[in-house]
Amino acid sequence: MIDSPPVAAGGFRTALRRLRRNPAAIVSALVLLTIVFACFPGAPLWVSHACNHGPSDQNIQGTITENGHKVPVVKNDGTPIGPGLRACYLLGADSNGRDLFVRILYGGRISLEVGFISAIVCVTVALVLGILSAYAGGMTDSAISRLLDLIWSFPVYLLAVALATAFAVHGIAVGPIHVASTSLAIPIVVIAIVYVPYVARPIRGQVLSLRRMEFIEAAVASGAGPVKIMLAELLPNVASMALVFLTLIVATNILTEAALSFLGVGVPLLTPSWGNIIEQGYQTIVTAPWLTIAPGLAIMITVVSLNVLGDALRDALDPHARLRIRQ
Amino acid sequence: MRRVTGFLALAAVTALLTAGCGGGTSASGSGDTGAPVNGGILRAGIPGNPDHLDPALSYTNEGWEILEATNNGLLTFKKASGGAGATVVPDIASAMPTVTDGGKTYTFHVRPGVMFSAPVSREVKPSDFKFSIERLFRVDSGGVGFYTGIVGADSYAKTRKGGISGIVADDKAMTITFHLTQPDGTFNDYIATPFAFALPKGTPDKDISTIPQWRVATGPYRITGYVPHQSITIRRNPTFKSWTPDTPDGHLNGIDVNIGVTPEQSVNEIADGQLDWYFESVPPDRLTQLKAQYPKQVYPFVRNNITYFFMNERKYPFNKLDVRKAVNYAIDRNALVKIYGGQGTPTENIIPPGLGTAYKKHNLYPYNLAKAKQLIQQAGVAGAAVTVWGHNTDPTPSAVQYLAGVLNQIGLKATVKTFDESVYWDTIATQKGDPQIGFTDWNQDYPEGQDFIDVALNGEHIVNVGNNDLTNTNIPAYNKMIDQAKRMPLGDARNAIWAKLDYLYMKNDAAWAPFMNRQWPKYVSPHLHGLVFNGNYFELFPSMYLTQ
Repeated sequence: MIDSPPVAAGGFRTALRRLRRNPAAIVSALVLLTIVFACFPGAPLWVSHACNHGPSDQNIQGTITENGHKVPVVKNDGTPIGPGLRACYLLGADSNGRDLFVRILYGGRISLEVGFISAIVCVTVALVLGILSAYAGGMTDSAISRLLDLIWSFPVYLLAVALATAFAVHGIAVGPIHVASTSLAIPIVVIAIVYVPYVARPIRGQVLSLRRMEFIEAAVASGAGPVKIMLAELLPNVASMALVFLTLIVATNILTEAALSFLGVGVPLLTPSWGNIIEQGYQTIVTAPWLTIAPGLAIMITVVSLNVLGDALRDALDPHARLRIRQ
Repeated sequence: MRRVTGFLALAAVTALLTAGCGGGTSASGSGDTGAPVNGGILRAGIPGNPDHLDPALSYTNEGWEILEATNNGLLTFKKASGGAGATVVPDIASAMPTVTDGGKTYTFHVRPGVMFSAPVSREVKPSDFKFSIERLFRVDSGGVGFYTGIVGADSYAKTRKGGISGIVADDKAMTITFHLTQPDGTFNDYIATPFAFALPKGTPDKDISTIPQWRVATGPYRITGYVPHQSITIRRNPTFKSWTPDTPDGHLNGIDVNIGVTPEQSVNEIADGQLDWYFESVPPDRLTQLKAQYPKQVYPFVRNNITYFFMNERKYPFNKLDVRKAVNYAIDRNALVKIYGGQGTPTENIIPPGLGTAYKKHNLYPYNLAKAKQLIQQAGVAGAAVTVWGHNTDPTPSAVQYLAGVLNQIGLKATVKTFDESVYWDTIATQKGDPQIGFTDWNQDYPEGQDFIDVALNGEHIVNVGNNDLTNTNIPAYNKMIDQAKRMPLGDARNAIWAKLDYLYMKNDAAWAPFMNRQWPKYVSPHLHGLVFNGNYFELFPSMYLTQ
């Protein structure tokens, strides 16, 4: 929630200076950059230079040489090879003989993509609904607010699982647009939808207080229309708030993706994502714990970094603000 | 999950077959500690709901294991392990049937005094058996294929009116007579499956799994409670009095089945003393450790099983023979066995090796990815979208992912779709479900090649609901060979036809991609004894007992 006016667009330079003076922010930003680098350009580089296995390459019958001995990637009793200091199977293999390290790198791509894209979709929709609702008022405000209340009234994960399950059967079909049930767009849309109220309502609150300010009255007096006021006057004033939400909600969305994938209704099974890798590994947590621990650590480090960065960004943009994603 | 197949084999020959070749039903028995002890409640676990608790509809091991303890038919497979367990013996019938008219008429005398449990609480009559078999047709049972050889069954299947003329029940004389359209050496086996278990007249023509007043028992136990996704409660049937050593009273006071226990969880709970027995086998990755740590609590159980991928011949691109052959070349069967923790033997045959001379090992599809790719190109289906179906019980998801990965490698565009196991088997058995390719397996209903070839590949049995021919294979020439074999007496000549058909189907049709004869090792509580693994009904609850 916001109890003081946010900085205007012009304050971003000051905010950046504040951010640079925050060591926790610097560290978390570096960690995030490392993760993004590792997952995006790093993943194919690793595959082409260190190990020739792609994320979906199954090598159940393969062997690797270790200390002069041939070691099976998957033993006859089904136990996969564990972590070790080697180029291939650095973090071990799963029961299908797939290289866990490579899968985590490629899985990170998907988890980050789903997290970021769904956050962008969510914040964009929230901005539109929040600004429109607060500025238009009346029936429009009532309709949008009740819609947000409706979504808010469901527990996030229950709603997400229900939507994802429904879309998993026939995909999404709206007029001429059809999204296949196996498309990555399904978890992105589902995750974006369930968090819209958590972002839209604070934005609406902020716009409600802004629209009574003098600069809005001045804009109205100068003949600016509603669209121009919303885009040129209100949007820049809630942009910093949206930016902070964006950072915080990416972390939440990555966790939600992991949870949905773990429950089997998130990212399609064959596409590696951190949640999927955990889902496929937890059944063997006793004999092959690395299959669960490694992607779990990847999620944890990413989410903690995003949260620390988000908090730092909030402090830098508006030291008095108390923005939180509250579920 | 595993489906319990539907066709019956001849019992007598079966017994010889299984005894002679090591049998499809492996035995075992927990180190019994002297005389069985009566009392105690068995704490059992199961990953999901059994498919049904209705004898007419259940077609999974889990369902049959429970129903074997609660209900009875005219005949039963002997409640024993190994070859002996394949013998058909009288149950509610007072003796084996009198077979006349050149093998076309079977007359049973129904034993008086066998009671249905409350609320029905009356004696079982011959007309209850007639009713129960006719009900199969009215509820779209997966087992109807066993009984279509009865005179009038075909027309009843269409009209569902007027009864099956070939079943004549006389409640006064306590006899029931079945007239067949042609001799069938495995008819006794059909009568011993749970599909022919007695239900009281008036049982509704819908699934009675969750209708307590119609879950009427005749056996030593009855299902007193069933809350899907939560629990099944089984207790002694107070009206039961053992009428033959082949239908013994149970030792346990009851069984509490906790639904939703994962395979991994079951191991932990059994080790912690919270669970005594689990419906499924040991998770593949835990077997080595459990064998070393608890050698006296791990029991092997080899079934006559075939685990395979089915390809729907009605669905593109599997309507093309080259594509089906490509899949057979593309899968590395040894790799798939590893996914199952080594709990099985790789195979390309339809018929399991435990079926004597009906099994003739062939090697038509050695692992050859290049050949598979070439066949896909040749068929002109490169890039075709394929969805691989499977259920969600470990390690099946790994197996279907393996297959999808392989299909992608050979040039198709595969995705995976998994279902909760409790609905999976019914879903794939309906034409409406209409999968392209998927995982399945088949365990014997009775140890004979017919149970695998006729049930699962004879196109004459294709139906819309409860379809066992998942591939929709229908080759008239082979159907004719099957019908011819069915009329033959059990033995090597008949087995030779099954073996030949196994070869022909794999060579010329290839709608199956068999990969493993699976084993089902069990890990049980140290207090659980009296385990008997019957090849047809699987684990027998009435034999089990608990010690402190």
